[in-house]
Amino acid sequence: MIVAVALVLQVVAAVALTPVLIGVMRQVRTRLEGRQGPGIGQPWRDVRKLLAKEPLQADGSSWVLWLAPALLVISSLVVVALIPMITTASLAPTPPDLFVVVSFLLIGTVALALLGVESGTAFGGMGSSRHMMIAALVEPTVLISVYALSIPAGSSSLASIIASRQDAVASVMSPAGLLAIVALFVVVLAECGRLPVDNPSTHLELTMVHEAMILESAGRDLAWLELGSWLRLTALLGLVVNLAVPWGIAPDAAPLALLIGLLAFSAKLIAAGAAIAAVEVFLAKIRLFRVPELLAGSFVMAFLAVTASYLVA
Amino acid sequence: MNADLHSQLIALTTGVLLLTAVLQLWQRSVVGSIRLLVAQGLALGGLVAVTALEASEATGIVVAIVIAALKGGFLPWALARTARLTRVHDGLDPGARPALSLLLSVLLTTVAYVVSQPLVGSGTSPALKAVPVGVALVLLGFLILLTRRTAVSQLVGFLVLDNGIATVAFLTSGGLPITIEIGVLVDVLVVVLVLRVLTVRMRHLTGGTALTELRELHD
Amino acid sequence: MAALIWIVLGTPIAGAALAGAFRRADWTRFVPLVAAVMIMGCGGVLIAVTRASGAVVAGSLLRVDTFSAWFLMAVGAVALIAIWGGTPTREQRREEGNQGGFWALMCAFLAAMTLALVADNLGLVWVAIEATTITTAFLVGYGRGRQSLEAAWKYVVLGSVGVAIAFLGIVLIYAASVAGGEPTLSWLALTRPGTVLTPAILKMGVGLAALGFATKAGLAPMHSWLPDAHSQAPAPVSGLMSGVLLAVALYAILRVQVIADRVLGPGLFRGLLIAAGLLSLLVTALLVLTQRDFKRLLAYSSIEHMGLMALAAAVGGRLALAALLLHVLGHGLVKASMFVAAGRIMHADATHDIGDVVGLLRRRPDLGIPFLAGGAALLCFPPFVTFFTEVAILIALAQGGLGWVAGAAVVLLLAVFAGLARHLLAMTMGGPDVPPSPATPARLRRTLPLALALGAAAVLGFVAMPLSGVLTDAVAALTGGR
Repeated sequence: MIVAVALVLQVVAAVALTPVLIGVMRQVRTRLEGRQGPGIGQPWRDVRKLLAKEPLQADGSSWVLWLAPALLVISSLVVVALIPMITTASLAPTPPDLFVVVSFLLIGTVALALLGVESGTAFGGMGSSRHMMIAALVEPTVLISVYALSIPAGSSSLASIIASRQDAVASVMSPAGLLAIVALFVVVLAECGRLPVDNPSTHLELTMVHEAMILESAGRDLAWLELGSWLRLTALLGLVVNLAVPWGIAPDAAPLALLIGLLAFSAKLIAAGAAIAAVEVFLAKIRLFRVPELLAGSFVMAFLAVTASYLVA
Repeated sequence: MNADLHSQLIALTTGVLLLTAVLQLWQRSVVGSIRLLVAQGLALGGLVAVTALEASEATGIVVAIVIAALKGGFLPWALARTARLTRVHDGLDPGARPALSLLLSVLLTTVAYVVSQPLVGSGTSPALKAVPVGVALVLLGFLILLTRRTAVSQLVGFLVLDNGIATVAFLTSGGLPITIEIGVLVDVLVVVLVLRVLTVRMRHLTGGTALTELRELHD
Repeated sequence: MAALIWIVLGTPIAGAALAGAFRRADWTRFVPLVAAVMIMGCGGVLIAVTRASGAVVAGSLLRVDTFSAWFLMAVGAVALIAIWGGTPTREQRREEGNQGGFWALMCAFLAAMTLALVADNLGLVWVAIEATTITTAFLVGYGRGRQSLEAAWKYVVLGSVGVAIAFLGIVLIYAASVAGGEPTLSWLALTRPGTVLTPAILKMGVGLAALGFATKAGLAPMHSWLPDAHSQAPAPVSGLMSGVLLAVALYAILRVQVIADRVLGPGLFRGLLIAAGLLSLLVTALLVLTQRDFKRLLAYSSIEHMGLMALAAAVGGRLALAALLLHVLGHGLVKASMFVAAGRIMHADATHDIGDVVGLLRRRPDLGIPFLAGGAALLCFPPFVTFFTEVAILIALAQGGLGWVAGAAVVLLLAVFAGLARHLLAMTMGGPDVPPSPATPARLRRTLPLALALGAAAVLGFVAMPLSGVLTDAVAALTGGR
């Protein structure tokens, strides 16, 4: 019971944190580029504004147009509930198993791709095909890199992986662990449409991957789409920071531990987001045909992490 | 040296060796490959030092320093000089296909693990368990040799191959007798120098170092 | 006695230093000749010494038994013919200037081959064989053109990669001996019955070592560098490389084979060598008819003979191995004189092409007769020794239960015979009815090394009876580990 409350708290906290994270990232980038910027609260204001607006739907559009945003948000919320962010406690019937998380992420991915195709425009289709290509290349890396991290823990439940990494400091610093984290990090950048795979602030349609799919959406639909995408970033980035720096997370659902966990998680997440934004200033988007190269490289690093952890284990 | 530190150090040095070899496949530019070769040579020297410390041999440390100096210092320097002399230092190798090569490297590493099973045997010694890394390095060196089309890149592949063989030598038996080691090092050195001269001559004759230009002898 | 080993090793090294130091001098062209004579002489003496009192040891790394002494003698003899015959004439010397560097490299090449033969330590054998690649690199690429550069590059890269595989094999052989408590690379220690070797590791090690040395020996499928390198190199270099360098690589394979057979049984190497031998014969049979360059043709003939020798090594036993030893000497002498003659034909007619050369017998009998005779020896015609050794090898194959291999070999050899004979006859017979060029005394003097070599090859078969003691002892030295 307490665990369920803790998980609800986790979801609420994540939803509240997400626009802040995006705001911090945008603001850091803006300030580094020498501009004033709209402030950290702008994404939240944007979502509020969009939620109040009426969505426009073109003639001939089908039920996908309203279903896809809903699916995206629901899958993102489930992923946020499953991934251990504030606490490693989990509800018994739904352990935060790696494969469950990856499957829910995939539901969101497919929903978004269908939305892009649904619009019937060239840009939407282009965005969807690029998005699916990246998703296909990223799947194996996610599985293998978390598998590499799970070898010392002996279980594919994300909570137990994080818990075991908390105990063994050496495994956090081991080469296998570092390689796996690096590979996962590249995956997060690819999956959530950050540089160098996709530029989230581009206005040129031909260079878009994520934005192209939501080009035709407006109003409430766009609000859900934006929120859903941001939640995915929070969830995945949260997973990576919790794996890289596992301390601070609550081992159970005690209130004090939850508070500490919340504070620690927020700090880690915002710091990671700011760091990403700072680095993004110096990066350029790589050409699309070189994306498979980058993702193959991260796959190989994840594979090397697996082999390295077998060597030492 | 206590067992835990020993196994950690072996894991670290062999990990760096394998990582640099894989990054070589990713790398398209010649200068980047040479920098990775430096890292590889230093890691090999480290590995030799670790095995020497484990066996408490003083000559082993000297060998480690010589290897690090040669493979991490002199040979990459000679290659970089060749690249500069033949003006390929700002060029990319047209034969390099990073994505495909990286996926092949995964396959080759798996093959290396399977093939080295009889070498590892049932041993629990961390040195023996890391032998597949050496075999993987040999196979990856072959891949680099086969896929590159400029002279200096092929040389880099040859040196990766040689590093792999040295790794296997030091991990399986603590190294060959010192006179043989010296002979082998001298041989590798002279081969690289010979190929350097041929590369420079190639540039004079064909205006570049693309080996695809030399295709006249065949049946 | 150990002094003999130091002499045979030291003379070519000293010669290399000398010729290198006095590059401009005229007399440097005699230095490798002296080295070759020394090697041949010492080889002969060492045969007698090792037959009388067992193997000669010098230091912990060098050891000569009758088997290596025979090879030493063969290297010396072939080197003598190749260098003597390949010495440039006075006009050529005036054209190209003194080539002290070339002769220094030749001496270094001889030194490397000698080291490979006298070394007991497998690692040292490896170092020496890699040294042969290095010393011949610039010899192969001596010409100025693109083709010789391409040949040199392919030769060095493929040779070094192949030899690197052999090194991995040697490393694993060393690792296999770790189990016995005292890891060693000494051939004598590895073949001693009491030495313990881990079979699984040894299998990988000897397989890789055989593969690597087979690359250097020109056995298919690792032969692709051979036609290019041997056709682009200058005549004395090609003669020496085809004649004995391939045989030295085969020597290394034979030494490794003894180690493998003791622990793993003869099946592994037998299979490998039969595959390599038949494949080499097949490659030659398929490609010999379409050759257009006569030096390349001779290179393919070398691949064929190496294949035949690999088959002899595969079946093992006294008859086959004795035939192999005779074949090494005979083929070496004949190949060297063929390459020397080919070099002179190239100089006289200014062409590489088979089609451009006709009527050698009529036009230039001093070139045509040796070329035709040597060609007949390469085709294993009697009375040349190659006839006797080829028949002996086929008989040994049949006797050893490998009759099907003998049959396949005969078919392939016939195909090679047809192709080679066709080209030889096209070059020597027919042609326009012109009077022959005058046989000046200088020309006759130049024919002397060729005549000596071919004469020796013709006589060797009949001298085999008195030589049989030597051959038997050599074979026993290899297989008995004496």
